Amino acid sequence: MKKKMLALLLATSMIGGLVGCGGSKGDAPAGDSSTGSTTTDNASTDNASSGDASADAAAIDTSEHVVINYMVTGDKPSGDAAASLDEMMSQLNAILTEKVNAELAIYYIGWTDYLSNYNLTLAQMDGSVDLIGTASDWLDAWPNAKNGAFLELSEDMLKTYAPQTWASVPADHWDLCKYNGEIYLIPEDNYAQWTNHGFIYRKDWAKEAGLTDGVKSWEDMTTYFKYVKENMPDIIPWDSDGTQYAQMASGWVASHSDFVPIDGLSTGGLWGGTKDDLYTIVSPFYTDTDMMVEYAKMMKEWNEIGVWKTDVLNNTASSNRDDYRIGRVAAEQHHTQTWTDLCSATPANTIYQDDPDAESGFFYFGEESKNVVALSITHGAMAVSAASKNPERALMVYDLLRNDPDCYKLFNYGIQGVSWDVNDEGLRITPEGYNSDTQNINGMTNWWWGRNDDLEIKDATRNWDAIDALYAEYDSIKIDYPYGQFVPEVDNIQSYINNINDVHNTYMKQISFGLYQGTAEDIVAEYQAALKGAGIETVQEELQRQFDELYK
Amino acid sequence: MEKSKLTFFQKVKRYRTLLLMCTPAIIFFLAFSYAPMPGIYVAFVKYNYRDGIFGSKFVGLNNFKFLIQSGKLLELTKNTILYNLAFIILGNVLAVFVAILLNELRSKWFKKVSQTMMFLPYFISQVLVGILVYNLLNYDYGFVNSILTSMGLEKWGPYSDPNVWPVLLVIIYLWQQTGYNSVVYFAAIMGIDQETIEAAKVDGANGFQKIRYIILPSLKPTIVILLLFALGGIVKGNFGLFYNIIGTNSLLYPTTDIIETFVYRATITEFNFATASSVGLYQSIIGFVTVMVSNFVVKKIEPDYSLF
Repeated sequence: MKKKMLALLLATSMIGGLVGCGGSKGDAPAGDSSTGSTTTDNASTDNASSGDASADAAAIDTSEHVVINYMVTGDKPSGDAAASLDEMMSQLNAILTEKVNAELAIYYIGWTDYLSNYNLTLAQMDGSVDLIGTASDWLDAWPNAKNGAFLELSEDMLKTYAPQTWASVPADHWDLCKYNGEIYLIPEDNYAQWTNHGFIYRKDWAKEAGLTDGVKSWEDMTTYFKYVKENMPDIIPWDSDGTQYAQMASGWVASHSDFVPIDGLSTGGLWGGTKDDLYTIVSPFYTDTDMMVEYAKMMKEWNEIGVWKTDVLNNTASSNRDDYRIGRVAAEQHHTQTWTDLCSATPANTIYQDDPDAESGFFYFGEESKNVVALSITHGAMAVSAASKNPERALMVYDLLRNDPDCYKLFNYGIQGVSWDVNDEGLRITPEGYNSDTQNINGMTNWWWGRNDDLEIKDATRNWDAIDALYAEYDSIKIDYPYGQFVPEVDNIQSYINNINDVHNTYMKQISFGLYQGTAEDIVAEYQAALKGAGIETVQEELQRQFDELYK
Repeated sequence: MEKSKLTFFQKVKRYRTLLLMCTPAIIFFLAFSYAPMPGIYVAFVKYNYRDGIFGSKFVGLNNFKFLIQSGKLLELTKNTILYNLAFIILGNVLAVFVAILLNELRSKWFKKVSQTMMFLPYFISQVLVGILVYNLLNYDYGFVNSILTSMGLEKWGPYSDPNVWPVLLVIIYLWQQTGYNSVVYFAAIMGIDQETIEAAKVDGANGFQKIRYIILPSLKPTIVILLLFALGGIVKGNFGLFYNIIGTNSLLYPTTDIIETFVYRATITEFNFATASSVGLYQSIIGFVTVMVSNFVVKKIEPDYSLF
């Protein structure tokens, strides 16, 4: 009998547990529906329209001390690194507590399978995160907004709780953060950066290979790789991993057409317009057979040269970038921002200490055709979780992190004198005894959703001559990202897009690494037939219809 | 006859000890298999985080569309089933074989050692198996190729040859699972009445005759029941094995793509519970039908061997 009672007890406690789970899930929507009309909100909205920001701030009820969880992609620091992060955070939290009676905690989404874990954490909706670093192109901002993960940020809320941010972001930028008329994202729109991809290569070696101006085209890249392979037996030209194919393929298309892809719709940006006709949807991958055949041929040549390892498709753990820093490989494919690091003589980049002639060039995709699109302002953006219990305070904390010089420097650079310092020229340097493994706060807080050029201090180690020259070149040819306002309705075509993604990934891997069987013409024909079978034309028609609605 | 006239409560009372012993299992299945079952409904909605499973919009069979549109459903199901058939048939045959061999071993010490050695691979995570296989077989610095080169032979590149993988995958599967599977059969052999075996020996049966006429027939019920269980999962692919070994090497898809790996690739980017559940439901229904049908067939032929 005792056992039976025990079993019964166990059963009831389990059922209780289940009910408990259901209950807490039920609470979340109830909690967020009230946020629109919390007492503090009501109390302050009246003055919001008339009074100035500081008057509002004073009227906000911050009597309860709260913890704001900031969710970010990145690996959680451990050991000494965690200790220096904690030290910075305690200083920061002292300021935040004093100003808005809140403290900040960082919730890390590790890099392994980050997108799945990121979306999974958002789907939990249990109030465990408040501020969410997101992006429309690489972190599923719009799908999550549509799925109900993000809170609608009313103008009143923004004006009241994030007044400085509200004032600094122009109206047309806010428009780009709207879906169905509601603002979901706070854009990082005052930070100059370029994330267009390309090849980072050793300019000194390119000169030895006879390319006196450096690499200017894909053909030059072939010459360069060939030279490296033939003359430097210890060096792998490019130890690529199997994931690089999508960037390479879109890079090839950018270099050989004036195609402007739509972000965040599919892997590899299959649809978009052209520079002279932005609002007619095309897909050169599907239609421009000659261009794709040329690509397949050149990549086969690269494969035969031995640019990458034979089993590149199964190579998931390449440390190519770190190998580049120490001179074990001759190229890296990534974006301009990464090049600004690799071309600079920082302590980690030992190639510059080992070889005074070492120099890193950047061949950007689209260089031949002058086809460069500036970054969308929602490449980094902050959202507030719809399940957040304190969305108002979350916004107040964000406003400080983005605009308050003390908070900004602490959070981005760390404690002055420990993690960073300023030299006589006003540039940012690392102080004596600085250890980049444990004291690089910038690499731990990953604040990519509210950087602010007004408060940034230039890094003295960066090779600003080269960087500024490239940025100037970009500025002279770039066009602004034209589709910021386009949030496609994909419910009816998602199943096609999934299948097209799979076709693109399947074939483009073989094409981009030259690992296909048969001729280049055959594989491209097969690829395009598969795209057709997966419904690329249906998707194109539907996107065109939505384009016409929005832009015509 | 009398038993069947008992009321439900009388039965409960009569079998209370048995029921009590079953309680943990019953609770387990109630909590983890039956309670979540209404969640299947998610396969028919456009899932929205805020509205939850039952508040989201009903979309009928929309979530199943992508599987059919891909045009790959048949090929994927075929690959999955063929691999599973190979795993189930070869796996059981080899397991029975190994169990009999173990039974015939006379040296106790050697028996224990070989059993342990065969058991070990079962505990290696699929992720590690994937890495082991890669390091054995990769083209540039794999173990096999290093040996081939040092013997002056040509290198072998399995990672760019789809045709070798059905064989390789089955071998890897067998290497990993046989030790574990043979335990059940080994236990069944231990359970065979020793008197029967001794009687056969007295009658002059040799070793092979003993196996053929006594051990194998005694194993038949066990084999049938294990086969029936395995058939339930006939369309559920072994994701861990395939994904860790093949990864996203698209060159090898023609012979190695199974339902799980395709769905994983096609939906990993958009995080759609609803689509994933619809695939799960599709597999469960086929598995359910397979089990019911094969159980029915078994029952017709030999009622004692059927599951229910």
